[in-house]
Amino acid sequence: MRNSLILICLLLTGLSAAADWAPDIESWLSETPPQPTAVIIRSATVWTGSEDGILESADLLIRNGRIAAVGSSLRAPRGALEIDGEGRHVTPGIIDAHSHAAIIGGVNESSHISTAQVRIADVIDADSINIYRQLAGGVTTIFLLHGSANAIGGQSATIKMRWGAEPRDLLLEGAPEGIKFALGENPKQSNWQPDEPRYPQTRHGVAQIIQERFQQARDYQRRIDEMPSGRDGRDRVPPRPDYELAAIAEILSGERDVHAHSYRADEILMLIRLAERFGFVVKTFQHVLEGYKVAPEIAEHGAGGSTFIDWWAFKYEAKDGIGYNPALMHRAGVVTGLHSDNPELARRMNLEAAKAVRYGDVDPHTALKMITAWPADQLGVGDRVGRLREGFDADLVIWNGHPLSVYSRVEQTWVDGRRYFDRETDLARRQALAEERQDLIARVLEANGNSNDNRETQAEQPEQGRTFRSMAHAHLLGYRPWELEHDEYCLFDDHNH
Amino acid sequence: MTNTACSMITTTETPRAWRMNSLLRLAAMLSLLVGMGVAAESVVLSGATIHPVSSAPIENGMVLIRNGKIKAVGQNLEIPEDAERIDLEGMHLYPGFIHPLTAIGLTEIASVRGTVDVAEMGNINAALRAEVAVDPDSMVMPVSIAGGILSAHIAPGGGLIRGSSAIISLDGWTWEQMTLAAPVGMHIAFPSGAVDDNDNEDLKRIERALDQARHWHQARRAAEDGRAPVPAENDQLDALGPVLDGSLPVFLHAQNERVMRAALDWAAEQELSRIVLVGGADLQYLAERLADDNTPVILTGVYSLPTRRWEPYDMAFVAPAKLHEAGVRFAIADSGGSMNVTNARNLPFQAGSAAAFGLPPEAALSSVTLAAAQILGIDDRLGSIEPGKQATLFAANGDPLEPMTRIKRVWIDGAEYDLDRDRQRQLYQRYLERLE
Repeated sequence: MRNSLILICLLLTGLSAAADWAPDIESWLSETPPQPTAVIIRSATVWTGSEDGILESADLLIRNGRIAAVGSSLRAPRGALEIDGEGRHVTPGIIDAHSHAAIIGGVNESSHISTAQVRIADVIDADSINIYRQLAGGVTTIFLLHGSANAIGGQSATIKMRWGAEPRDLLLEGAPEGIKFALGENPKQSNWQPDEPRYPQTRHGVAQIIQERFQQARDYQRRIDEMPSGRDGRDRVPPRPDYELAAIAEILSGERDVHAHSYRADEILMLIRLAERFGFVVKTFQHVLEGYKVAPEIAEHGAGGSTFIDWWAFKYEAKDGIGYNPALMHRAGVVTGLHSDNPELARRMNLEAAKAVRYGDVDPHTALKMITAWPADQLGVGDRVGRLREGFDADLVIWNGHPLSVYSRVEQTWVDGRRYFDRETDLARRQALAEERQDLIARVLEANGNSNDNRETQAEQPEQGRTFRSMAHAHLLGYRPWELEHDEYCLFDDHNH
Repeated sequence: MTNTACSMITTTETPRAWRMNSLLRLAAMLSLLVGMGVAAESVVLSGATIHPVSSAPIENGMVLIRNGKIKAVGQNLEIPEDAERIDLEGMHLYPGFIHPLTAIGLTEIASVRGTVDVAEMGNINAALRAEVAVDPDSMVMPVSIAGGILSAHIAPGGGLIRGSSAIISLDGWTWEQMTLAAPVGMHIAFPSGAVDDNDNEDLKRIERALDQARHWHQARRAAEDGRAPVPAENDQLDALGPVLDGSLPVFLHAQNERVMRAALDWAAEQELSRIVLVGGADLQYLAERLADDNTPVILTGVYSLPTRRWEPYDMAFVAPAKLHEAGVRFAIADSGGSMNVTNARNLPFQAGSAAAFGLPPEAALSSVTLAAAQILGIDDRLGSIEPGKQATLFAANGDPLEPMTRIKRVWIDGAEYDLDRDRQRQLYQRYLERLE
């Protein structure tokens, strides 16, 4: 039965593939959109995300997936795809520096207080529908992190929203390696009843355990470095490989960036001093709700601040979260970004940026940088994405109005000079998808000797614990166990990210 | 500047409150107010563009407020000589947003159990009254007011028959004074398991409670006529009386399309005549039926992911537009989770986002003001800037459905509210000093 189902899927896709490119709701059925040799967007309002500011009635030229020029009255090569930008706004693609939106299975490896050895790159869910939905909100790059159940959570991954690509091809080439740290209530297990309490249970315990791991990693590295090479090392036993300490040692050698989940000013300051003692710079503080209280210290240390614009008071350590945090951190010279940490919120990051205007009078273009240029800098990929500048990747969004306005919509989202989201295509595709789905459901039911009313089945929605006739049936009804688990995790267990 | 004093005026306006104060204290207060020069019974807000919601915007308009109520709205009003004049040139006046369903005042910090009074244990809790647990000094109140949310419909959240809801003003000295209307409705969660199962235990529990209430009220009527002994007092069954006789609406909570349909069928069987359906974006799939039956709805959020994988990405964004097109009366709320309580201030943006996806902007504004007031049955007092209504409004530097807009001044019952009570502003001001 399952084989015949896949055959049906393939047949139906075959039919639609003959038409223009259109995405499917399944990544593995979506072909990579074509990359035109040249694209020119004419007479748009271009928000560069760079020191060039906002350019009125500007043209933007893309060649072979890269931005070739931004300016007025550009000459396009013959055969270039022309897009009328009149009345439209173009911005860099949105970069979300805190996401769990495309991870298979659990977000936390919460067994030990440090799990530096585990890697998000091993569990990227290229078929997460979140990728497509976030493209529809203008997101082009996301930073996938572990959760915050432990002080040292694991190795992160920076991916581009290339819907339809294999997991390894989502990885943003050349992005620096990262690792998730977590401070405060979550690593000390304050907000749930652990099966077995685990050290630490206090903030000073968190500080101590991180310090201890760095000492161990430094020792480990020294033993490796002290191994004589060549003949001298012949009869010496090298240190046993320790993937956890090796990852932490990479922090000390500057090969791995620390992104630290944090809320309170005290713990932020603690990690800054700890990092200074061990000779590295914390790349970003994540959430960093009280960043404004120690903004001069964060700026002086050189860390970025990746925050929610207005989440607060959902737990005790978030009590002093204020909408003005980004404005204050920015004012103090911190490289400031806004993140989602939530697959729904990620689809409207432009409105989160708009709130930086509301709270603290940040000007709109600066606010936009908080979701484009500066998160790119925080992830160490600001020389390639996050700005509309010659030579940068053609990752951009075309809006039907002011990008920070609640009344505006994303019309198109481009990644690598490929149009991955197009609202018109999406609208046109809906009817075909609905018909295909009805047809498939009918066939599944028929194959199972059940001729129930289709409409009844259509109305069903995934519910935890329900049973399905087959995995294919479950899939058709939109039920994917790991996805549901994850979404619920995001909705209800917001303390843990 | 004068806000604390203004609040005092409002408080003391009610005769009961006057009586509660000693004459001495009264005199002291009056002299203080006169000394500060703010004791105006009449206030005129002038120069702003007024957005009454009930009618078209009025440019360079005036709102005359007297004794906490709106006396007149227009362009050239006759102004009493003693009226305090407040110039709002360049600003926009809007009626305060009404949050149509939240637990504000009942939740302080979601993860700290001692600060959360939302979900009671047990299944049948008809006698619970949300308003008695409202903390007037909740730090969430001033933050929400700074976002233009000036009143809210609050409801208990746990079990099957959850209890009765209330509409509160977000400012006041006591919960009693803050309560604008109670009970507003009885909240019943329709069990999703009852969709396919006629013997669903939870549904039976609800039905048993309703049947007991019917019998109890029958017995009480008989007792009143002298035909039977007086039945034992019972708060639970007593509270269900107004539901059964149709004087109190049932807010029927249902998760998805099938549950919603089953819930409406069930309500009809039970002869519950006044229903407000509360649910998510699936409400759009019932739009025709809701319009035909004139059943109003509270949509629990525009900001939600599609429930099913195959649904269009904007499935929840378009829900209000679909309801509007079909002629359904609706108010926009949020999903009510703990994150939403502390960020109730983001409610207007949900309405704004619906406007980006097909809802006319006027309908979007109404969904969090006048339409909400109508569905909640408080449109005689709130929801628009019209004579006779409470002077509960705010001035903003633009369209308040836009997140970029700043709310500059707020009046509740005619008294200006001190926006510096907002803890977030206080922290901002304090730490701004550190950077300067």
